Amino acid sequence: MDLSVKIGKSTLANPIGVASGTFGYGSEYEKLIDFSSIGAIYTKAVTLHPRAGNDMPRIIETPSGLLNSIGLANVGVDKFITDKLPFLRTLPSAIIPNIAGATEDEYYSVVKKLDSSNEIFGYEINISCPNVKKGALAFGTDPEMVESLTENLRALTEKPLIIKLTPNVTDISVIAKAAENGGADAISCINTLIGMVIDINNKRPVLAAGTGGLSGPGIRPVAVAMTFKVCKAVDIPVIGMGGIMNDEDALQFFLAGASAIQIGTGNFVDPLISNKILEGVQNYCKEERVNTILELHGLFLS
Amino acid sequence: MVYTKSEILTFQKLSKNFYLLKFKWSSENDTPLPGQFFTIRVSDTTVPLLRRPFAFSNFDITGNTASFIFEKKGVGTEMLAAMGVNEELDIIGPLGNTFFQPQDDRPIILVAGGIGLGPMLFLAETLQRGNKVFNFVFGAKSKTLIPNQNIFKNINPVICTDDGSDGFSGTTIDYLKSINDDGILNSGHLMACGPLPMLKACHEFALENSTSCQVSLEQTMACGVGACMGCVVKIKQEPGFARVCKEGTVFNSKDILWT
Repeated sequence: MDLSVKIGKSTLANPIGVASGTFGYGSEYEKLIDFSSIGAIYTKAVTLHPRAGNDMPRIIETPSGLLNSIGLANVGVDKFITDKLPFLRTLPSAIIPNIAGATEDEYYSVVKKLDSSNEIFGYEINISCPNVKKGALAFGTDPEMVESLTENLRALTEKPLIIKLTPNVTDISVIAKAAENGGADAISCINTLIGMVIDINNKRPVLAAGTGGLSGPGIRPVAVAMTFKVCKAVDIPVIGMGGIMNDEDALQFFLAGASAIQIGTGNFVDPLISNKILEGVQNYCKEERVNTILELHGLFLS
Repeated sequence: MVYTKSEILTFQKLSKNFYLLKFKWSSENDTPLPGQFFTIRVSDTTVPLLRRPFAFSNFDITGNTASFIFEKKGVGTEMLAAMGVNEELDIIGPLGNTFFQPQDDRPIILVAGGIGLGPMLFLAETLQRGNKVFNFVFGAKSKTLIPNQNIFKNINPVICTDDGSDGFSGTTIDYLKSINDDGILNSGHLMACGPLPMLKACHEFALENSTSCQVSLEQTMACGVGACMGCVVKIKQEPGFARVCKEGTVFNSKDILWT
C-alpha cells in the first residue's frame, strides 16, 4: 500500500494534514502527539506584517460546530522564519505555510521571503478567509482575480502552490478552474462558511466581529459536496476538508475524489486524531484491496 | 502537559449546582499548580463538540489525586455532573501559568468569587504549605451558593453575600474597603479569581491602595493549548491581545486593558 500523494513535483508521505489555524505553528502540540502520522502541517496564516487579530469574543460553539473570528492573528513572516520555522523543520511532516494578504503584493512579498527555505514543502494560498475586511475574501470570490494572483505566484516559485477556496461563492468550481488555469498545483477546499450567532439577551452578535467562519462536523456534508464538485471540475489534486472527526469522515472525502485531506476543528477535540484517521484509512484500504488513494477514487459509484 | 485518561474517585455536591470532583493524577504527570487548568472531553459525540476547561482546585502529591470544582450550567457540565465514580475522564493538562507567590511579608489577600473558588483554594493550600499567612475572602450571590464549610478545611474564610443572606452583606470588594480604613492592606498582595466585574474591582482597589494584584481569568476556549488564538484577552502591551490559555490564566491586573 502506498498512500503517498503527489502535489506538483513533490510528494506528501501520507494524505493526512492538519488545517491552518487549528494547529498553530506545530510546537503547541509538541508534548501531546506523534507527528509521524501527519503528512502535512498547514501553518497558522502568515502575513507580511504581524497581525493582532480581531476583538474578542472570537469563538463560540454551535451545534456540532465552532464559529470563529480570529482575524488572521499571526506573528508575521519575518518572525515566522526566525521563531517558528526552526521547530517546524525538525518535524517529519511537510511544512506548508498558509499565506494571506490584504493586497496582491503582500502575497508575493511573503512567498519571496520564504522561497529560499528548503524545509518549506509548498504554499497554501488563503484567498478565502471570511474574517478579514477587504482583501482576502474578495480575492477568493472573483475568478479573474484568482487566476491572475495564481499566475503571478506561479512565476515566483517552483514549490507546490495550493489555492484554498472559500465556499461562500455561487459556484466553487468556477473559482477552482480559475486557480487551475493560473497554474496551481492543487486546490484545498473548503474554508469556513460565514455564520452568525445572536445573543437574544443583549441583542447583539456574540462574536465581536459580528460574523465568523463556521467549521466542525456540522458543515461536513457541505464540504463533501463542494469537494466532489471541485474534483469534477479540475484535473489537479484536491485537498478536502470540513468537519472531519474520524476515518469514516475522511474516507467520504477520498471517495468524493480528494487526494488528501485536512483535519481542522477535530484537532481541538482530540489531538491524536491524525494518528487514528491514518490507521483507519489504511485498514479500509486493506479491506477494499486498494493500494493508492487514486484507487480509492475509483471505488466511488455515481 | 499530558493527554491522559483519569479515573474519577469521588464526586461531591457542594451547593446548588456546584460540584467537587476528585480524580487520579499520577505524580509522574506534570505537577499542577494554582491557576493552572486542564480540559476534559465530556462527550464522544459532537454535542458538545469542544473540550471544556476547568481549574485545578487541589493536587495531593502523596495520594496521587487532583480535584476541581465546577458549576452545572450547560450541556457539557450537565454531562459531567451525570458521570459517576470509576468512570474515566479524558484529560489534557496541566495548562497555563500560575500565580507568582510573594516573597516579602506584606499582607496577602485571596479573593474568590463564585466558581473562582477552586483555584483560590488550591493557592491557599499551597501558601499554607509555605507557612504564608493570608486572608481569604469568598463572595457569592446568595447563601444557597455557599459550599459546605468543610471544603475550606482550616482556611477560615470571610464569607460575603451580595444579598446579605449570610456573612458580610455586600461584595468581596465592599468587604476589603470596610476593613481597610486604616490602610492595613496597603502595599500588600491581592490574588483573585472570579467574575470579571469582581476582578476589575480588585484591580481598582489594588491601584487605590498600592497593592499588587494578580487575576486568574476565564475565557471561552477551543484548543486550550495556545494554537487557535480564540481565548484572548486585551492587554496594554503589543500585540494588544494575550491568550488566556497560554500567557494566562494568571495576569498582573496592570497588564490587562480593562473596559
